[in-house]
Amino acid sequence: MKCAEVHPNLAAFALGGLELAQTAEVQHHLASCSRCQKELRELEEVNRALEAAPSPSADPPAYLKDEILARVRAEQLSLSNNKESEESSSLEEHSRSSRTSRFNRFKDLRIMLPSVAAAALVAIIALGVFFGFLREEAPVATIQLVPTPQEAAGLKGYWGVAEIYPQPSGNQQVELKLNNFEEPKPNSYYELWFVSGERRISAGTFTSVGKGETRLLLNVPPEASNYHTLLITEEHFDKDPAPSNEEVALKGEMP
Amino acid sequence: MDIAVRDLLDSDKRQNSSHPVMSRRTGRLSDEQLMTNLGGAEVEAALSELYDRYSRTVFGVGLKILGDRSLAEELVQEVFLKVWRSSHTFDPSRGSFSTWLYRVTRSVALDIYRKRAHRVRPVPDGDSHLATERDSSAGPQEVVDESWLSWRVSGALEMLDAPHREVIDLAYFGGLTQREISERTGVPLGTVKTRTASAYKRLRNELMVQDTSRAAIR
Repeated sequence: MKCAEVHPNLAAFALGGLELAQTAEVQHHLASCSRCQKELRELEEVNRALEAAPSPSADPPAYLKDEILARVRAEQLSLSNNKESEESSSLEEHSRSSRTSRFNRFKDLRIMLPSVAAAALVAIIALGVFFGFLREEAPVATIQLVPTPQEAAGLKGYWGVAEIYPQPSGNQQVELKLNNFEEPKPNSYYELWFVSGERRISAGTFTSVGKGETRLLLNVPPEASNYHTLLITEEHFDKDPAPSNEEVALKGEMP
Repeated sequence: MDIAVRDLLDSDKRQNSSHPVMSRRTGRLSDEQLMTNLGGAEVEAALSELYDRYSRTVFGVGLKILGDRSLAEELVQEVFLKVWRSSHTFDPSRGSFSTWLYRVTRSVALDIYRKRAHRVRPVPDGDSHLATERDSSAGPQEVVDESWLSWRVSGALEMLDAPHREVIDLAYFGGLTQREISERTGVPLGTVKTRTASAYKRLRNELMVQDTSRAAIR
């Protein structure tokens, strides 16, 4: 065999994909051809690199993209809502000194409507994107989430419910219903934790809540079934990913 | 891992560390242009396109690092949210988008790894005990560092077109001979061999071209 005949077969040879007779021919040629030996060494390096490749069947689930885009939409709304609130606060401060109470009442309504509309829109997006709210099966556990003492003062109609649904994958899906839950501070978000003693598992993060009821679907791994306390904490972007004990907002225990 | 070490050294000598790999695909916005669009009105379209290009690589490398599908899904979600939230920190003059995305992926994976390092596993007697997710002989930093080669190879595979990717999948991952691939796909044996040789050559070139500067990933 000449180099020109061996060359196209070298990659297949490196892969061990030639028939026995052809394999023997290539081996015979390689024994006396330094050029093809060099070529083979380079191909074998590709082989070694492929050992590090992820499995070709490693595809993320199809719904993941929609969930990510939904969270982006929700955070955008939340951010614009915060911005509106800040602008409104500034406007309110200015108006207080120069306008009558009648005008102030009109202004308050004008400020409040976009916030309520945004919160409602977030809830609608959540309902539209996260399938399964119309499920028929009953949850395996329903946990009442109540404000922690430091957060409870002065809050009315402020509650949460978490319903747990086992999934075929072994994960647990948590349907979280929050009512009149304050939006997180700027550059912050909420995180739901399953807690057992000093150990915690995160069920995911969210930011968009507000007046009225908001629903979210989150997932936790099977191990969370041994964690009987649920906490919602307020976390800060770009800080330590560990949970912040000082800013617990809601807490609940498995019945 | 000879190829990794040698290519890392080779690539440090190259001048085009900021060469946008994806822009070589004609008729499409480059990764860098999409990153710019994340700051404008086309945010969803831009993020969606970046997701289509890289989610398999992020997920596959996540599986390698974290060894768990649900954690790899969490990784993909957090990585692409971070791409959106932190798009303003991406500077194309300092390296390609792929390298920047690898840094983001590594950072998020490390966070998830640490958060989940100790988890409770049920045992048959109904009690529970602390268990680590991975072999403790490899620290999280080491595990994550090993992922750079995985990232690069996955990216190189993504650059292959479907017919070339198919022969690699069937030959390397499926363990089929060239004749078996020909029989399974209906493609002539000579074409299968040509595609295999061509795919290997492209993989070799991609692995050498990619921005592999060690400094760039730190």
